[in-house]
Amino acid sequence: MIKQSEENSLKNFLILPSVLVLLCFLFVFFYGVYLSFTDLKLGKPTVNFAGLKNYIYLWKNPLFWKSTKLTVYFTLVAVIVQAFIGILLAKLFSTKVFFAKIFRPIILLPLVLPPMSVALMWTTMMNPERGVLNYFLSLIGIEPFMWISEYSTAMLSVIFIDVWTYTPFFTLIIYAGLLGVNQEMKEAAQEAGAGAWITFWKIELPFMMPYVLIAAVFRVIESFNQFDIFIGTTGGGPAKATTVYSIYAYIQSFQNLNFGRGTAILFVNWWLVLIGALITIKLYQMARKRVS
Amino acid sequence: MKFNFNLKNLFLNLLVLVAAIIIIFPIFWIFLMSLKSSAQVMEWPPVFIFEPTLDNYKVLFDISVAGSSNYGTIRINFLEPILNSVIISGGAVLVSLIIGIPAGYILARSNFKFKEDIGFFILGFRFAPLILVIIPMFYFFTKLGIKDTYFGMVWVYQVITLPMIIWLTRVYVEDIPIELEEAAFVDGASVLHVIYKIILPLLRPGLVGASLLVFLLAWHNFALGLLLASKKAPVTVALLKLLNPGINFYPVMACGLVISMIVPILLIFLGQKHFVKGLTFGAVK
Repeated sequence: MIKQSEENSLKNFLILPSVLVLLCFLFVFFYGVYLSFTDLKLGKPTVNFAGLKNYIYLWKNPLFWKSTKLTVYFTLVAVIVQAFIGILLAKLFSTKVFFAKIFRPIILLPLVLPPMSVALMWTTMMNPERGVLNYFLSLIGIEPFMWISEYSTAMLSVIFIDVWTYTPFFTLIIYAGLLGVNQEMKEAAQEAGAGAWITFWKIELPFMMPYVLIAAVFRVIESFNQFDIFIGTTGGGPAKATTVYSIYAYIQSFQNLNFGRGTAILFVNWWLVLIGALITIKLYQMARKRVS
Repeated sequence: MKFNFNLKNLFLNLLVLVAAIIIIFPIFWIFLMSLKSSAQVMEWPPVFIFEPTLDNYKVLFDISVAGSSNYGTIRINFLEPILNSVIISGGAVLVSLIIGIPAGYILARSNFKFKEDIGFFILGFRFAPLILVIIPMFYFFTKLGIKDTYFGMVWVYQVITLPMIIWLTRVYVEDIPIELEEAAFVDGASVLHVIYKIILPLLRPGLVGASLLVFLLAWHNFALGLLLASKKAPVTVALLKLLNPGINFYPVMACGLVISMIVPILLIFLGQKHFVKGLTFGAVK
């Protein structure tokens, strides 16, 4: 019996290797935060504590503010558009029509492709001279479009790619939520004379909202950190039109070799992620309350 | 099935078809592009019907073709990054399984102080800002001399694979009735014996699916390989390099894209059920 309880406490140590590995990453993260308060430059022999110098530099730098706007704009627009189309697609694919049944597995497709492959795929299709997208536009009489190659359209084009890639994420989660919508409530509403639209607005949508928002939490976090799709399409250009935080930090760190500034940008980004996620979680809790 | 032919039905079918085409067309187009010659890809309007060629795949894989093809002397050996991706992603999944399964089991079954905190800490890595970890990691890797090694890459990929494996194991173990283990413990079996001899066989179908999914997520990664490896860089990094030569090189890049996308598509067929669970991280039960 004594051996038994000894082993019981010992067995909890099986979790240690995993926790240790992950703690290493946590340490690296905090080390990154520390670096943002230093003047570490690759190739420079000494590292000095610099206090808020990197942050003050960023505060005074117009590019940093531009980058802030771009990052927030990208995240907000991409996530909201994805949520809308995600709801529509989930509704569409949950109808009993023939094609919906056949094509349901296809929704998964964009999500399982490497984001870098997706980015490069669209880069070839968005080519202003030879891209197939401009060919389709020419068929309906629209002038060639510059897509990712022009300042005014670059960000929207990247958002378009992001929407193509991650809308299925919303669809998958909302679709599962829709399966749980109380059929009796729907029928009761219809019997009471409510039309399809009223049933959707009053019963289905409030029921879906928690699912929409939980998906949004994930997407908000990942959109703030989106890196692959920008590198694979615009690389932050043209003329810094798509220099979001991750790209800005990458340029500062690996082109200017200024690691202090790079980590400072990312630490600011980390706070934005946290705030964005918390707001979305708050909305999620409100939506949950409304349902129950 | 009642075949209900009316206008609304037709309209809905049409909408689904449009959505499906929007999803499938880009992938289909890239596949077509991979079979075109570099002259065909420069044609306007774009050609849809043409005589397909496998030359681009040869350029991608066969170093001896370099110089003799119309792409000039660009040398690519795409097999190398593919192998790198397989070794790094596969190795990372394996290591995660070895240390992660016991951890997931303990989180599911035992009760101790801070258990939920540790669980939350592990889950939190799904939200980790990867690039913020990469910059200091680059610094450490340079200092430790493990930049551009399989060892370093497999280790750093744990940040992607390990939390997923632990979390999915925990979910799967919680679905197994506890009575079996209790009987074994009464018979005096050790924890490791219970994990490997009783739990593991029961978990196998779930874990195979989970491993495929986690392998896929590792296969997706680009940023870690871009900054922490060069000769040992994964497929995603090699692909970006194929963009540089310009439009007439698109067919060769398309071949690389097709290969990088075929692997995940094959994996979905093997484990679709588990993918939905894993991709949505349990938001879908």
